[in-house]
Amino acid sequence: MAKSSTEKGPNPIWGLFSSVRLTIVLLIILAIASILGTIIPQQQDALGFAKQLTPGLLRLFRSLDLFDMYHSIWFRLLIGFLALNLLICSIDRFPNTWRRFRAVPKPDRSKPFERLPSGQTFLTEGSLKEASATVARFLRSRYKKADKKEAREITYFYGERGRFSHFGVYFVHLSVILILIGALVGSFFGFEAYVNILEGERIDAVTLRKGMVPLKLGFEVGCDKFTVDFYDTGAPKEYRSDLRFFIDGKEAKKAALLVNHPTQFRGITFYQSSYGTVPGNKVRLRVSGPQIGSKDTAIEVETDKLYDLPGGEGQFSVRDIRSDIMGLGPAVLISVQPGEGKETHFWVFQDQEMVKKRLPPPMAQSPKFNPSAFKPYTFFLDGLKTKYYTGLQVNKDPGVPIVWLAFFLMVLGFFITFFTSHRKTWVRVSKEGDGIRISVAGTANKNPVGLKRHLERLTKDLRNRFDERE
Amino acid sequence: MAFFWFNLALFFELFATGGFIIYIIKQQKQVFRWSNRILLVGLIFHTIFLCYRYYSLGTAPVLDLKSALSFFSWCILCAYFVFQLKFKLRVLGSFVAPFSAFLMIISYAMPWMEAPVRPIFKSLWLTIHVGTIFMGNGLFAIAFLSAIMYLIQERHIKRKRLGSFYDRLPSLATLDGINHYSIVYGFPFLTIGMITGSIYAQFALGTYWQWDPKEVWSLISWFFYAALLHERLAAGWQGRRAAIMSIICFCILIFTFVGASLWFGGYHSFGELGARSTL
Repeated sequence: MAKSSTEKGPNPIWGLFSSVRLTIVLLIILAIASILGTIIPQQQDALGFAKQLTPGLLRLFRSLDLFDMYHSIWFRLLIGFLALNLLICSIDRFPNTWRRFRAVPKPDRSKPFERLPSGQTFLTEGSLKEASATVARFLRSRYKKADKKEAREITYFYGERGRFSHFGVYFVHLSVILILIGALVGSFFGFEAYVNILEGERIDAVTLRKGMVPLKLGFEVGCDKFTVDFYDTGAPKEYRSDLRFFIDGKEAKKAALLVNHPTQFRGITFYQSSYGTVPGNKVRLRVSGPQIGSKDTAIEVETDKLYDLPGGEGQFSVRDIRSDIMGLGPAVLISVQPGEGKETHFWVFQDQEMVKKRLPPPMAQSPKFNPSAFKPYTFFLDGLKTKYYTGLQVNKDPGVPIVWLAFFLMVLGFFITFFTSHRKTWVRVSKEGDGIRISVAGTANKNPVGLKRHLERLTKDLRNRFDERE
Repeated sequence: MAFFWFNLALFFELFATGGFIIYIIKQQKQVFRWSNRILLVGLIFHTIFLCYRYYSLGTAPVLDLKSALSFFSWCILCAYFVFQLKFKLRVLGSFVAPFSAFLMIISYAMPWMEAPVRPIFKSLWLTIHVGTIFMGNGLFAIAFLSAIMYLIQERHIKRKRLGSFYDRLPSLATLDGINHYSIVYGFPFLTIGMITGSIYAQFALGTYWQWDPKEVWSLISWFFYAALLHERLAAGWQGRRAAIMSIICFCILIFTFVGASLWFGGYHSFGELGARSTL
């Protein structure tokens, strides 16, 4: 893996991109840039930070895209170089790997036996033939195939395991490239958007996060119902939207959307992301009657509909509903039309006490802010009937399956790389004096510590086999 | 009730730590054996505490720094007992027990905050994501401690001062072996943890990767461990260099765990975990 083949000729660009040194340089640059990105506030968070900069610095930061660096051209270019580097490194080294994968080593090699540690050899008794047969049986139980070569006074055996281990690293490299391809597919053919749907209403377009422009979906989504459960503390515990999808006005799908349980329709995924309330078109009012001491009339009224006054002196209606006016809270605009005479308009706040305290006296005394402006009635606002809206994250990312596949390949690749190795084992049976010497040697493409342990264990097992025989 | 199990776990872990310190001074096997048993009892109480919290929260108890530290400590102890079975190294406990007890003391000192669990955290993916990441962190902590032991031992051998620590520490080869195995096993855990994290994010937030500070920092620590492993497996790094590199890697990892969640914000930060009003 360390040496690159020069068969492709001395193309300098190929040479540059097939070097591990470039990988390390690129990784270091990417790491430094990424760290900067965690220190400099990005995207929406950048506003406050940008205000503190001098104009010159600000221009510099802007031109380098430092406020959204992960999506900047130069950052993407760096990632692109890394992918190219990975790809070319893999292609460059593949022929060698293939050769190593295909190679069939000779059983009678002597180099592996040089400087053999004492734990990998032992003496035994008996004839060469007997000993060879025992070794052959032993190796057959350990390896799928054990080669054998007989020479004078010496027999060689060869067994191996884990040829595929050479390819693990390619799975990992391929997976990284696939992740980048997946991300690219997502950024070209996908989008990130959001939409708020009022309970009971339908939408046919969403707002793209990039540029805040609307995007037609080509179908309609309606929210039938939104429900939220609360903890005792008032924090939301679980919420769900009952959605319906329509194509050309016809219902095509019904789905319950919960946090962590997105739903898909026509390749677009909908996520429950937030919720909120808006004032609806109904309020709860109380009207105190003309006679002192009589009971107040509590009614629920809808905007722009006429209602009779409790005493019958005329009619009134709610013209406007505001969830907040001047920081004084919810208010409604009441219009009273007496049987005869001019119409009267005035605002009624939910918290009338606050209005008295906070509004400057001339304003507070104005009939426009007097709930008793139409005598002898006094209006009270008990509350607005609010409506829920559900906030949905609407995404399309056709790259996701590619990324999932890449994750799978990566785990597989790491498994092969870390936990398998191509171990070649040679066993030599030779005459030594009156006895027989058995030696075990081996090579592996990685994990020398594991190999040594493996060979020692193999020798020990083999020795036990000979001891049993005796 | 959770207090009770937590305190019990802390008590036994501290007790075991004391035992392990006496062991390293006195070198009596009996002391080790009892310390190990006491530590195991502590681990059992710790496990009960975590199960109890899991049950009462409805999700993995890792949503604030206090709980995360205690979970980290638990993972280190689990990794320790696995290695204890494999390597039978008595002295490892004298390093692991104080470290995990230290994390528990910090956790103990932090206030209990009963923030309600936001619906987004009620997912099995969270448990898998955090569980695998922390198992990886626990193994890396063992790698870190064995690297420190390696450097101490090497210093003693170089100075030919074979007294005090030399007899008490295992051989350089064994320490290097522990370092190697804990990284080889820790790395896949970290990788799977990051992968399950992005699957979780895809389901919960709609994007598998969004350059959140913690995501970036864990990618950086992932690259560092990848480089270390690459050098160990392909270039045959061993001993001192590998030990120093694994200490550097662990510092980055700890920064990712603590620093990135406390200082940088983003959706991984503990402040956001408890306080954000949406989701």
